[in-house]
Amino acid sequence: METVEWPDKLLEIIEDFSAAFDISERYEMLFELAEEVDELPISEWSSSTKVHGCQSEAHVLACLNENGSFHLRGAADSKLVQGLISITATALEGRSLAEVATFSPTYVEEMGLKDALSPSRANGFLNMFKKVQHEAALLGE
Amino acid sequence: MVWSIDDWPGPIALSVEDARKDFPILQRKVGDGKKLIYLDNAATTQKPQQVIDAMSEYYRNNNSNVHRAAHTLASEATTAYEESRLKLKHWFGATQSRLVFTSGTTESINLAAHAWARTNLAEGDVIVLTEMEHHADIVPWQMLAKERGVELRWTPFDLETFELDMDAFAIAVKGAKLVACVHTSNVLGVRNPIEEIIHLTHEAGAKLILDAAQAAPHDRLYFEELGVDMLAISAHKMGGPTGIGALIINESTFQQMKPFMGGGDMIREVHLDHSTYQENEHMLEAGTPKIAEAIGWGAAIDWMAQWDIDSIHQHGLYLAQKTVAGLRKIPGMKIYGRHAEGDGAVVSFLHDSLHANDLAAFLDARGFAIRTGHHCAQPLLRKFNIAATNRVSYWLYNTEHEVDKFITAVTEICNKYA
Repeated sequence: METVEWPDKLLEIIEDFSAAFDISERYEMLFELAEEVDELPISEWSSSTKVHGCQSEAHVLACLNENGSFHLRGAADSKLVQGLISITATALEGRSLAEVATFSPTYVEEMGLKDALSPSRANGFLNMFKKVQHEAALLGE
Repeated sequence: MVWSIDDWPGPIALSVEDARKDFPILQRKVGDGKKLIYLDNAATTQKPQQVIDAMSEYYRNNNSNVHRAAHTLASEATTAYEESRLKLKHWFGATQSRLVFTSGTTESINLAAHAWARTNLAEGDVIVLTEMEHHADIVPWQMLAKERGVELRWTPFDLETFELDMDAFAIAVKGAKLVACVHTSNVLGVRNPIEEIIHLTHEAGAKLILDAAQAAPHDRLYFEELGVDMLAISAHKMGGPTGIGALIINESTFQQMKPFMGGGDMIREVHLDHSTYQENEHMLEAGTPKIAEAIGWGAAIDWMAQWDIDSIHQHGLYLAQKTVAGLRKIPGMKIYGRHAEGDGAVVSFLHDSLHANDLAAFLDARGFAIRTGHHCAQPLLRKFNIAATNRVSYWLYNTEHEVDKFITAVTEICNKYA
């Protein structure tokens, strides 16, 4: 696997997950991280925020900070999925739209989550990530 | 034929401990080394060593196409394949009826729709279904309805008692040509009042196809004694391999059927301008059949025949009732089903604040294999205004100890994360 230079905050999360005792503990960490996302309330969920191909109801909204850098809001009815959105938001926070466009989603593998995610959930994660990148590209237009 | 019904020993009461020994997969570990606790038997059961051996032995020693060549292997394969059909006919009390091998319950129902209904139903004819059906017993009839202008009437069920509204059924069935009904619900575990449904169906002059996919692993269904016209079953839910099932058909219904797929085993003679077809079950088994799978299914029936089926049923129901009692103690947990005498070993449940997928993921991390989702019964779930449930389902090798461990795990997870 190619070596990716992760942002510091994401690197911290990856290290925490790598040090976890087992899959249950990783899920528990995802539950905790779910609380930290800039949560998109249900009132703002719409067909344009919905992540398709995800088993649970997941929504993301790409935004810009005042300085023009990237910011992600999101939520899901499944806390585990919201945890994955939260990590993605942390990974992309404050980056340029160009950086978001080329960002690698392989941090999930480094966190030891890929095998734990069912194929459908792993696909759901990738669908979510691609949607975030697509929305970011639209912001730049 | 070398096999005879006398080869089945007199059944003895189920010994879970002895039965378990025949399932090598139950010894494996999953994820980061947790012992597997397999509670997804309504989706598919595990296979005893005897089934695995029978299929391996066929491929090692007897593999050949059936019904064709006059060589030793072809003769052995044909005998073994037809012997499995005979065993299944005996098991399902259908020795005077037709048993067509299909790929499973779904194909069996589709076969009934194509080979019988398309030939015998016309615009304006009525098919009665229930809101408890699996998608496999809904979609083929919707397709037919769209194509032929056939009317579908739906029998509702009660959201509190989980029982079919038989008054509504009695009205709906009047003037109907066909009833398609599930014996035991794969979501609720409810066993429907089949005897009453059969009586009312035949009184109305209609035919009945019964989806017995969930009943067959726990109940001995005697086709001719029941008096249904068609019965759809799958091997893989009763210890047999995936990829094979059957449609059992009584003689009068069979005589009204036309071939569905053409080619292979179903032909008698082929000319450039016309063809003639086999007149027995082979008419509906086009192409090279599922030989190894049929032999594996026969071995599964041999294996099941050693146990008293009532003791299998009671064991499953007891585990289901124990599960319900344990889950009910968890605040916010709702159970779907009544789990009464005769019902299946299935428990569907949903917590009001812990997402079904999250609970399943936490359970998987602890080694529990359970089902989560709509269980291919979206109309049923929609009636409850939900999109998914968690579901555990038991078979004869599940233990009380596994139920205890499951209840402890769900309780801990809900206490911590709900």
